[in-house]
Amino acid sequence: MASTLRLYLTCIRNTLEAAMCLQNFPCQEVERHNKPEVELKTSPELLLNPVLICRNEAEKCLIETSINSLRISLKVKQADELENILTKKFLRFLSMRAEAFQVLRRKPVQGYDISFLITNYHCEEMQKQKLIDFIVQFMEDIDKEISELKMSVNTRGRLVATEFLKQFI
Amino acid sequence: MASFERASPALKEILLRIYSAEKPIEVDHQLYEFGSVEYHIKSSASDPQFTYLSISTPLLTQEVLLSYGLSPYTMQMVREISADVLEIVEPAKEGYQLTLRLDFSRIPRGIDSMKVITEVSSVQAVILSSQLKEMLQNVNSWDTSQGMYKPIKLVYHPREPFYVIRQPQKIIAVFPMRFKEYSDVIIATSFFQVSGGEYKLSVISNIKLNSYCCSCNKRDSAYYLFGQELMDVGSSEKWAKVPPCSWSPIPPPELRGEPFEELSTNGGFVSFEISSRHIEGKRLDKTVWSLLNFYAYVKHHVKCTRGFIQRRMRKRLESLVEVLQNSSLEEDGHIKKVKGWRYMKKLVTLSSKSKILKRRCGDFTRKIKRIRFRIKIHGFGRFRRRWLTMPKFSSPIGYTKLE
Repeated sequence: MASTLRLYLTCIRNTLEAAMCLQNFPCQEVERHNKPEVELKTSPELLLNPVLICRNEAEKCLIETSINSLRISLKVKQADELENILTKKFLRFLSMRAEAFQVLRRKPVQGYDISFLITNYHCEEMQKQKLIDFIVQFMEDIDKEISELKMSVNTRGRLVATEFLKQFI
Repeated sequence: MASFERASPALKEILLRIYSAEKPIEVDHQLYEFGSVEYHIKSSASDPQFTYLSISTPLLTQEVLLSYGLSPYTMQMVREISADVLEIVEPAKEGYQLTLRLDFSRIPRGIDSMKVITEVSSVQAVILSSQLKEMLQNVNSWDTSQGMYKPIKLVYHPREPFYVIRQPQKIIAVFPMRFKEYSDVIIATSFFQVSGGEYKLSVISNIKLNSYCCSCNKRDSAYYLFGQELMDVGSSEKWAKVPPCSWSPIPPPELRGEPFEELSTNGGFVSFEISSRHIEGKRLDKTVWSLLNFYAYVKHHVKCTRGFIQRRMRKRLESLVEVLQNSSLEEDGHIKKVKGWRYMKKLVTLSSKSKILKRRCGDFTRKIKRIRFRIKIHGFGRFRRRWLTMPKFSSPIGYTKLE
């Protein structure tokens, strides 16, 4: 792993560890409602300052925290058009299957490629440390997967071109 | 048309059925392929010796269309498929360009029979190939005007025309590439760049792209990738014998003067320079078939790549979900808690069911009570109280009133 990536991921991990101290908190506006405050933003006193961690202009992570929920938005590196199309395809594919992940948001926050929403209920059902591990591993895997996909598509292209040109010999 | 197999599978199957039938069968089929190719197969029990096959296919170019239909060269090529078995009927059936009379009794029994029928089924491919072969072989005077070589537009598929430009020592085939989806453009472009090897072109094109090519927006610049791959392979020493290939997002200079709408593409232009050695002897057939199928080949590659990406994403999804499932608390002995919750849910469901039952019974009892008899039967009241009263249900979670 590149040292810059390691630092970037470590920073995200530490921030998440600090931010993920969620508790059950009913809505202050509507009685008997319990909603993620980070999404509704009804009471400013329940929100913490959002933290933006940038590796570079193309790769960044926004962590928004509230008393009962946490929203993590990621922007994934897209060096060229092929990476761009592969990233969009892959993240759209995952977002459409968000129910399998529980913590994945169906629609990313504007300006980001993918978003997670973690509530206090998720923290009660899952281990906090493993949830953080999942987020960090997800980030690593996405980068790796996009690079591998790009290489595979180019390799396939090369093989197909070779086969086509063979016909002329 | 857009198929790598020369023989039409449907036509082959019908011809095989007629050939292998023990008794003469009555067949009158009309087949359509790729929207514009039409076959008519007729075989009658009264005339079992001959089967008539008529074909109508769009010609490659209108410029070589002769008043009487197909050119003599094409007719000759069709005859050469199997001179013993087929005979050209003139004039052709109305609405068709060519009618063939097939004599299946002359086909030798055994493995060769399949080969002959497959060759007969590829008659449409022969017609199209022969047209391009004729063009590549003949140097005609009509394609030069004022020292410029006029490009010949070939319509192999209505939406996918390509151009052949005859030059002094070579023939240039130019394929304008169009794709419906943006992602297809990207994948195709990453393929084109393998076979040419002329990076200069793509760099120059990159600069000119925004100013020249109106239909290509900034995002389309990614299709240089394909050109690179296609061009890389083509430029290596191993592939010195193959026709030089180049890819450009802007129309090549040879196509200057063609209608603007035909030169607007989103996938750029792929050009093959075919020299005399590529059309010598048996190579001619291979070259012609490769050129005719270039579109189909690229589209097939794009489709397969999309499938590959989808498969890979599906596989990756499973591994990612697995990581999240491992973070569940259940493995740390919290299963009891979950079970308890489920048990409670079960209880709640049960009580609600009993409530529903109780309510229904109450309704039924009230209905009985509402019945008013005009004739009073002695002792019926007691009978009703004894037998028609529904038992009262007491809820397990309900409370009892303290005396």
